[in-house]
Amino acid sequence: MIAVPRPWRGGGSLGSPLVVLAAWLCGGVLLAFILLPLLQLVAVQTVGTLLEAARATDVQSALMLSVAASILTALVAGLFGVPFAYFLARADFVGKSAVAAIVDVPLTVPHTVAGIALLMVFGRHGIIGGPAEDFLGLRFWGTLAGIVVAMLFVSLPYTVNAARIAFEGVDPRLEMVARTLGLGPWRVLARITVPLAWRGIATGLTLTFARSISEFGAVVILVYYPMTAPVQIYEMFLRYGIEEASAVAVLLLIISLALFILFRHVAYGRRPVAGSGR
Amino acid sequence: MTALTVTGLSLRLGDFALDDVSFTLPANDVMVVLGPNGAGKSVLLETIAGFHRVVRGRIAIGGRDITALPPERRRVGFVVQNFGLFPHLSVAHNVALGARGHRQDGPPAARVDIAALLERFGIAHLANASPTVLSPGEKQRAALARAEASHPDLFLLDEPFAALDAPARAQLRLELARFLRERRLPALFVTHDYVDVAALGDQLALMRGGRIIQCGVVDEVFRRPVSRAAADILGFENQLVGRLESGEGRSARVVVAGRMLHAAAAGGTPADADIYVAIRAENVCLARPATPPKGAADNRLTATVVALEPLGALTKVTLDCGFPLIACLMSRDVPDIGLVAGATVTATIAAADIHVVAP
Amino acid sequence: MKKPIGILLLAALATLTVGGTPVSAAEPTTLSVFAAGTLAVPFKQVDELFEKNYPDITVQPQFGGSVKMARQITDLHQGADILAVADYYVIPKYLFGGDGKTAYADWYIGFVRNAITFVYTDKSKFADAITPKNWYSVLARKGVEIGRSNPDTDPSGYQTVQMLNLAEKFYSSPGLADKILANAPLVNMRDTETSLISALQLGQIDYLAIYRSDALQHHLKLLNLPAKINLSDPNYASFYAQGVAHTKNGDLAGKPIVYAITIVANSTKKAAAEKFVAFLLGPEGRKVMSSDGFGTFSPAYAANPEKLPPTLKPLVKPWPTS
Repeated sequence: MIAVPRPWRGGGSLGSPLVVLAAWLCGGVLLAFILLPLLQLVAVQTVGTLLEAARATDVQSALMLSVAASILTALVAGLFGVPFAYFLARADFVGKSAVAAIVDVPLTVPHTVAGIALLMVFGRHGIIGGPAEDFLGLRFWGTLAGIVVAMLFVSLPYTVNAARIAFEGVDPRLEMVARTLGLGPWRVLARITVPLAWRGIATGLTLTFARSISEFGAVVILVYYPMTAPVQIYEMFLRYGIEEASAVAVLLLIISLALFILFRHVAYGRRPVAGSGR
Repeated sequence: MTALTVTGLSLRLGDFALDDVSFTLPANDVMVVLGPNGAGKSVLLETIAGFHRVVRGRIAIGGRDITALPPERRRVGFVVQNFGLFPHLSVAHNVALGARGHRQDGPPAARVDIAALLERFGIAHLANASPTVLSPGEKQRAALARAEASHPDLFLLDEPFAALDAPARAQLRLELARFLRERRLPALFVTHDYVDVAALGDQLALMRGGRIIQCGVVDEVFRRPVSRAAADILGFENQLVGRLESGEGRSARVVVAGRMLHAAAAGGTPADADIYVAIRAENVCLARPATPPKGAADNRLTATVVALEPLGALTKVTLDCGFPLIACLMSRDVPDIGLVAGATVTATIAAADIHVVAP
Repeated sequence: MKKPIGILLLAALATLTVGGTPVSAAEPTTLSVFAAGTLAVPFKQVDELFEKNYPDITVQPQFGGSVKMARQITDLHQGADILAVADYYVIPKYLFGGDGKTAYADWYIGFVRNAITFVYTDKSKFADAITPKNWYSVLARKGVEIGRSNPDTDPSGYQTVQMLNLAEKFYSSPGLADKILANAPLVNMRDTETSLISALQLGQIDYLAIYRSDALQHHLKLLNLPAKINLSDPNYASFYAQGVAHTKNGDLAGKPIVYAITIVANSTKKAAAEKFVAFLLGPEGRKVMSSDGFGTFSPAYAANPEKLPPTLKPLVKPWPTS
């Protein structure tokens, strides 16, 4: 039906030019799919509309709150998720695949449902929220803590999965050799394992940050005020309309993009490209 | 004081197990541990290095009981397949890690001069290189330099050049042998390739199914396997069923497929016992039927050539002497003896080369 | 090998194009109805009955905050045939156009009314002590958590504030509104009151300002507030106007809570839409609405009655001016 040209000797690992063409086609469609809506959003704005939105104090505090909460979420995810990922990568026990599957469950829960479930646990009468409020004075309803809890629930799997895969990629024999050289287990982790797994871990943390900053459904059940950026955008859509709301959305986009670039530079910029150590 | 004493070591690790493993390594010797895959050789090494908990048994290095110590306190040098250099650190950093690692324990820190160490191993020019760009030889030198920087009492090497091609393996084997001899370092070297034995080993231990089935000086073990399993590991091509007629005196008489053969002294095996005889293929000398024998003519057999298998410089010949027999000779001698399928030849085997093995 | 693949591709392409083409007149009509969240329960029942009576019409309702649904039509240009809102004023404010904005409607019919009240559960603080007489002092007590919706974006939000201001006048209790609102801080606010029902049920809040209809539908305990303050009776409209809510959209004076419905001007299924509205205004529709806790009008009130479609004109009377 289609005239297939002869296999091209110079095609390298991609083989025939038909494969290359298909790859370009798919890639082009994909990029267009991502870029067109975003460019449309940006195109409606002018520097003037963006500046006007940026000047509003409630917009500023919403953006700052979102960034701060997302960074905090990524830090908490790293603190708890990375050691757990190491454990999943190295330890072997009955029910390990079940545990790994549980880590992924939050990805499948509808966000509103997740929010309500978290409210059950962290609310005034919740099994964690009650004692937290009574003994520590820590509230999750309408606080930064509540925002972080909601963000963490939906974004933690990214850190754990990426870190686990990264640790699995570090040859355990390297850790063994390091031990025999006289390094204790913690020093081995710090000087050998984590540096070799760093790229994967950093990717996971960045994804956690990204997922957190865009979360709406779960956050809004626990915390409407103070408003995160997505909630602010929604409120502005209701009050003013699509143009004003999308101005704030574009600001959020710009800030997120800038932070991504910063993270990548910090995470990957300094070390030379490392092999797999095998 | 021995370099390493292992007593009654037993443990279970999933599919692998160690079953009452005991041996000693005299000071400054290199022991090669030979065995098929799954024998437990790597597990043994890892246990001595401290990575598995033993159910029973003791390990002592240089007289020091280390059974309960964590790996970082055992003072062993561990060399793994592909040498285990840390890819994210330069060569100099790798070596320095070895030196720094032992600051908290062991001999008082005579500050290890990293530069001098690199110089001694001939890799000073690679100090800032990444391990990923080194040749296998350079990797070995860097790994050994790193291990030496930590002043180990014992070296453990787990098939470090198993993944390399034959010429690289040969070269590295030589360098490693020289390194170990010059520094008079005790080492345990694990391999499944018995070519490594001659180059490296003073002692040889045969391992199978988690047990040491024979252990001793290389020559002794090599020539006199105590069982069929040992003969298998050592690569004896011929293992024939037979019966011992008498084992007294300097030679034994065995009957194999109705033929009587003169074999090496059989030690304590009783007469009339069912036994195996093990013969190395290269010890079966072949000649044209009418040729007068050269050397010991303890056993002369008439054989028919069944098949020839050229293997480069050597050729493997399968014969039928009333029982199957495999010989191995230089390929260049093949035409002289007129070896073709179906031809008749004379096979000569010295009694000392026919070894009686208990079943 | 290539032939079957080609045929499959063509078949797939054909199915896709057929699936995207508009249906002919003989096929069933689909009505898209955008309605306020508080109409969710009754409208689903009305839809079922309506579809039984008119089997060739399918109703696809979508529910959300009244303003949000209006904006989905005006800003997001989503195709809707009918819009029903919780506050009748949303329709002229967002859909009538003017100021260079497109007009999406030019009439509306007020078809049911509602009342603002507070709901609570057994778990709520002082649940056993609260009565229609002392409610305003109980709600002002320290430690009571009250939830409400955002007055800047949601009708029930500003209606709650208006009601509290009216209560201040009604009970001659100055500062009543502020004291109660102090127990309903920003953290207890959501964009629409129905989002807070789960918070009430979990005990995160003790009292929730919400519509009477929601209270009955969710089987929640409710306070029977005087008609003069709960915005339920159009006859008190002039008193209601004294209750003012200060919002980011300006000062809003109290009005009776009348739900309004209109047919969107660019709808392509006006005939079917008129049948639906007529059904809603008719005896069966009214029965459903009142059993779900709404007050009904018989007949309904219409604003700009001369602009109504002819089939609906006989069913209404003009909006009362008071």
